[in-house]
Amino acid sequence: MASVLDITAPRLSPFEKLRQINWTLLLLIGAIASVGFAMLYSAAGGSWEPWAGRQAMRFGVGIVLLIVVALVDLRLWLQASYFFYAVALVLLIGVELAGVIGMGAQRWIDLGIVQLQPSELMKVALIMALARYFHGASLDIIGRPTFLIPPLTMVLIPAALVMRQPDLGTAVLLIGGGGSIFFMAGVRWWKFAAIAAGAMVAIPTGWRMLRDYQRQRVLTFLDPETDPLGAGYHIIQSKIALGSGGVWGKGFLQGTQAHLQFLPEHQTDFIFTMLAEEMGIVGALGLIALYVLLLGHGFAIAFRSRNSFGKLLAIGLSVNFFLYAFINMAMVMGLIPVVGVPLPLVSYGGTAMLALLIGFGLLMGVYVHRDMRIGRRGLGDDF
Amino acid sequence: MNAPLRADQKLVIEGSGKQTFELARTRVLIAGVVFALGFLTVGARLVDVTLLQNGREPRLASAPPAAALEMDRANIVDRNGVLLATSLSTASLYANPNLIIDARDAAAKLAAVLPDLDRGELLAKLASDRSFVWIKRNLTPRQQFEVNRLGIPALSFQREERRVYPHGALTAHIVGYTGIDNRGLAGLEQSMDEALRRAPEASAPRAKTGEALQLSLDIRLQHGLRQELQRTVAEFDALGASGIVLDARNGEILAMVSLPDFDPVDAGTAEPEQRFNRNTLGLYEMGSTFKLFTAAMALESGAVGLHDGFDATQPIKVSRFTIKDYQGKKRWLSVPEIIMYSSNIGAAKMALAVGGQRQRDYLGKLGLLKASTVELPEIATPLAPERWRDINTMTIGFGHGISVSPLHMAAGVGAIASGGVLHPVTLLKRPEGVAAPGQRVLSPQTAEQVWGLMRMVVEKGTGKTADVPGYLVGGKTGSAEKPAGKAYRKSALISSFVGAFPMNDPRYVVVVVVDEPHGTKQSHGYATGGWVAAPTVGRIVARMATLLGIKPQGDKDPAQRELLLVTVSTGGKKGAPF
Repeated sequence: MASVLDITAPRLSPFEKLRQINWTLLLLIGAIASVGFAMLYSAAGGSWEPWAGRQAMRFGVGIVLLIVVALVDLRLWLQASYFFYAVALVLLIGVELAGVIGMGAQRWIDLGIVQLQPSELMKVALIMALARYFHGASLDIIGRPTFLIPPLTMVLIPAALVMRQPDLGTAVLLIGGGGSIFFMAGVRWWKFAAIAAGAMVAIPTGWRMLRDYQRQRVLTFLDPETDPLGAGYHIIQSKIALGSGGVWGKGFLQGTQAHLQFLPEHQTDFIFTMLAEEMGIVGALGLIALYVLLLGHGFAIAFRSRNSFGKLLAIGLSVNFFLYAFINMAMVMGLIPVVGVPLPLVSYGGTAMLALLIGFGLLMGVYVHRDMRIGRRGLGDDF
Repeated sequence: MNAPLRADQKLVIEGSGKQTFELARTRVLIAGVVFALGFLTVGARLVDVTLLQNGREPRLASAPPAAALEMDRANIVDRNGVLLATSLSTASLYANPNLIIDARDAAAKLAAVLPDLDRGELLAKLASDRSFVWIKRNLTPRQQFEVNRLGIPALSFQREERRVYPHGALTAHIVGYTGIDNRGLAGLEQSMDEALRRAPEASAPRAKTGEALQLSLDIRLQHGLRQELQRTVAEFDALGASGIVLDARNGEILAMVSLPDFDPVDAGTAEPEQRFNRNTLGLYEMGSTFKLFTAAMALESGAVGLHDGFDATQPIKVSRFTIKDYQGKKRWLSVPEIIMYSSNIGAAKMALAVGGQRQRDYLGKLGLLKASTVELPEIATPLAPERWRDINTMTIGFGHGISVSPLHMAAGVGAIASGGVLHPVTLLKRPEGVAAPGQRVLSPQTAEQVWGLMRMVVEKGTGKTADVPGYLVGGKTGSAEKPAGKAYRKSALISSFVGAFPMNDPRYVVVVVVDEPHGTKQSHGYATGGWVAAPTVGRIVARMATLLGIKPQGDKDPAQRELLLVTVSTGGKKGAPF
């Protein structure tokens, strides 16, 4: 990598880059994370233990990481994209193997000090790798179906792996985030339509191959209220909590659904419900507004970037973030089936927090290097 | 390089070409719109779930609201809400003999689970050709369970209520009791029967509204009063006793006990003497305690002044009666002395000074000539002479020849204690913040003069044993011989004490009447009011004061001594008929 470093020596000094940091973006991230701390504090019954304190600590580490990532030359990240993807894939397969050995679903790699969730890393790595692949590709090239086979494989392998864990939510995020880069890169509409149609055709075929109990699971999954005490329990309790919040909520630390343990996983997947119960629709819409502002910022950065890699990266990360937030909120409101996606920056979870902040570091990097020109091969020919 | 992009600056896109770049920009916009729609959807759904849906669990049957409790009779509570009477739901067993298949078998089985029933009687009932017979009323839950387990189809249960009196005999004469059909048979249960079944507005039965009938009684005082009366009855081997604690300022009866008493749950087996409420139904010649009224009306009417006196040297002979003093002083006595030494001669002369008509009027105003207005059904009308001759005037002056109930005495002395206003006595708690009904019968000046006399009796006269340091007890003793036919029995006394406290501003009236006490060694053989009833009142006052939190006052406080000071001048002379 030494030779790469030589070529891509940054034109800006680190101090100059620091001045380019988008403080509004940081402020929005901080605001959303603070909502998370407050809700985790409440979820523990008004205590920093066991969640809020640790989450804040991780956030602090993550913010430093974010700035470091943002200051690194974007071309360096472009160069390293495939490498990161390869590492994430190996880890993911490692988890899969460990899961097989451990006779159960496993999403973690225990590094002793830190438990690592490779699927979270894969979300960022996949977007980087795809942005790298489509960087600078002309429409003619993109139009060739053979050109699309490698990136499709890059998406489907990790998606299949996490689906087997089983972690449907992450699979959706991977496919959605990846798909958005295909879309941004200029892949034709009809190709998306063809894939969607293919999936539609596959569904009835697959349905017939399922056993009865498996079908039952899927049906409950689609309509949880057929099983109010089993699979439907989460979502029903969640809706009760949402409805009981009303306009202004029951007040901080006053949410009965969450505190009386009716609401499962209220520190992770269902934290939005808790927010709506305690802070009411006002608090919930406030958080959504913060998300919209943050996402808008991501899009503005993508729009503003003058290099293809940065643009694709920014879009991919933004879409990934959007899907995160959207799927979680839609899930707890019963709009879509429960798939187990946390609320970004708010839900308790170390790897997810770090992965998100690294992602935002890349987004910030795109902003800092927004006017940089990057060649097809990522070489530093920026006039 | 970081300079903002200027409009005129030409973008030079390398490698991939400008076309790709333009397309990407368009698609960023498209994606932005899609995601904005996504958030809009989430926001709309949030409003929907939070505000528009009612957050109830779907597919779960909504339980009907619990039916309102319907009880036949309302509870009765004391002034502090302590339960005095309540109803428990029970089941009563009845049978339709027409449906009995094997009466002999059924009778045997029933007798086995309800051993207190006679098998022969059961068989007779079950074999009868009626279609309804009561087998047993008010079964316990276990008995009901056992009967159900027999599985005899002709047996059925009727839901009933059983009246329960948690305090038992303590309030038996006041609360009363109900019969097996849950109708009031005595006491407030009888007189307030309708009210207990209906709400005050009569719109809904009271029992349904759950509002209890609140009495003026304070169960703590009631208990204290009963204990002290029991002690006195035991100590002096009396036939019985009665006691009343009255709030003179509004006529509320705080405690009222008649001994002997009975268990209201088992009223049917009680003796008539036990069920007899001496306080309201018993009419007694109260004796010397009446002298308070005589003094009050004499002072009020202006017939005598506080410093006037009467000649009490000689007994008075009127036709066949002789009025004489017990341990008389045989000299002229001032009005305070007449009260203090309880002179019959003096009281008789004082009554004559008032005059028969005025005496009758005053007694009428004090409510002593008609039945009490208290809410109990067991009330008696005082016995007073038809023809009010001078001899009647004189004997009534010291409390003979007229019979009233202890409650009459309490109410009458209450009028003096309250400063001259007679409040009708009541057993129901008066609403707070509303002035109690009342009628002025004496001027405040007269009342205050009598307060001084009452205090003097306890301080220096026959009622010393009623005194409680710090509480300025005042009152009057009474020891009347019980009439037997046309004569009086010297050895059988009605010993009484009518007291009030604190005498500088009296509020509470305490009346104790003891029936036929026998002298003891401690009382030197005496069974008079001063030896029997007055100490009882003293003990009751001491208990009351701590219970009600009444602060003791300095007896030596000169201002109060001044207030109650009655100059005992020996023998001012006033022309009197005798």
